[in-house]
Amino acid sequence: MITITVMLTNKLGIHVRPASLISKTASKYKSNFLIRKDDMEINGKSVMGIMMLGAGKDTELELFFEGVDEQEMMEEIVELFENKFGEE
Amino acid sequence: MKALTVEMLFELKQKDLTFTLLSKKKGLSKEITTPELSRPGLAFAGFTDTYAYDRIQVLGETEVQYLKSLEPSTRYDKIKKLFSQFDIPCFVISKGLFPTRELVFLADEHNIPVIQSRMKTIALYHGLSNFLQDWFAPSKSIHATLVDVFGVGILVTGQSGIGKSECALELVSRGHRLISDDVVHIKKRMNVIIGDVNKQLGHFMEIRGIGLLDIETMFGIRAIRMQKRIETQVELIPWRHNMDYERIGLKERFNRILDVEIPIVYLPVSPGKSIAAIVEVIAMNHMLKVYGHNAAEIFNDRVQKEIERKNRIRTYLETDKE
Repeated sequence: MITITVMLTNKLGIHVRPASLISKTASKYKSNFLIRKDDMEINGKSVMGIMMLGAGKDTELELFFEGVDEQEMMEEIVELFENKFGEE
Repeated sequence: MKALTVEMLFELKQKDLTFTLLSKKKGLSKEITTPELSRPGLAFAGFTDTYAYDRIQVLGETEVQYLKSLEPSTRYDKIKKLFSQFDIPCFVISKGLFPTRELVFLADEHNIPVIQSRMKTIALYHGLSNFLQDWFAPSKSIHATLVDVFGVGILVTGQSGIGKSECALELVSRGHRLISDDVVHIKKRMNVIIGDVNKQLGHFMEIRGIGLLDIETMFGIRAIRMQKRIETQVELIPWRHNMDYERIGLKERFNRILDVEIPIVYLPVSPGKSIAAIVEVIAMNHMLKVYGHNAAEIFNDRVQKEIERKNRIRTYLETDKE
């Protein structure tokens, strides 16, 4: 299992578009992907789940990857966060 | 679980529990750390060996009358001794009683908020207790879908993409009610697990191939529900040839959720299979079991009686040497 902490840096936080981007990317892989914010833990492959987090700018999120392709999955997901989902 | 300060308690329950603040505001940032309450009569009288000082202190008629029966100077000394020894989160006084000037004065000195309520002691006690039990209840968010099927709370679980949302959508279109899709926030109250929905976001659902759907607008108010007790879990699993699926149902299986045992049904799914009808049947079967009617047991009984009857006839005929 890989655990990594990311910081949300884009202005609008995780709204519908980034949420669907994350879940779409995650769904390409077989591994499990969980996101934790405070005491909420949701499945990273579910758009509803990601949006329920209501994560705004400067929120810290913990990401958990577990499975056969966890490394590749982690790299691609973290890249999304680093690129601010292609936003400002 | 968020930390609870006296100020939050005061603001959240001010209307319900008819609170008025008797002390100054500076102690309001004190934190409440336990859901239990204390009646500090004996502590005032001087017995403090097992004094639960870290709880909310509820004063009723008896405690207030006791304080009033004391000489003002004794009263002052007793309260002062208690306050300097223990770090008390706050006092709540029932029936609109005034807990003597000394108590309020000393409470201010030690930054202990004193709240008055117009409610009767027992009602106030239960009101406070319910609120605190709820606040401190173990809770978490799980990846699942919760639907009320014929009044039975069915938690649908299973891996991503297996069809939880589609199952819930079919149930909703058959007239059942959605609590939450994809993320269920669960809470333990006594020995019951309650699942609810994120109130800000409401009843939306994601169906692959369509996108987001607003269930409330689409199906109306009858199709949604804010919270429901979870009574049975249905775990959707991919159908595999030759796997050992439950065929009779004599043995019930359970899953522990927040330390409560919930009956679980493992349901193999394959494309084109109507899961909703099966889930309806699971709900009805659960109700029958609650009312004491277990189909598997009854069928088993009948088979056994039939075998016994045939045995009786056979032995009778065998001994028949006519």
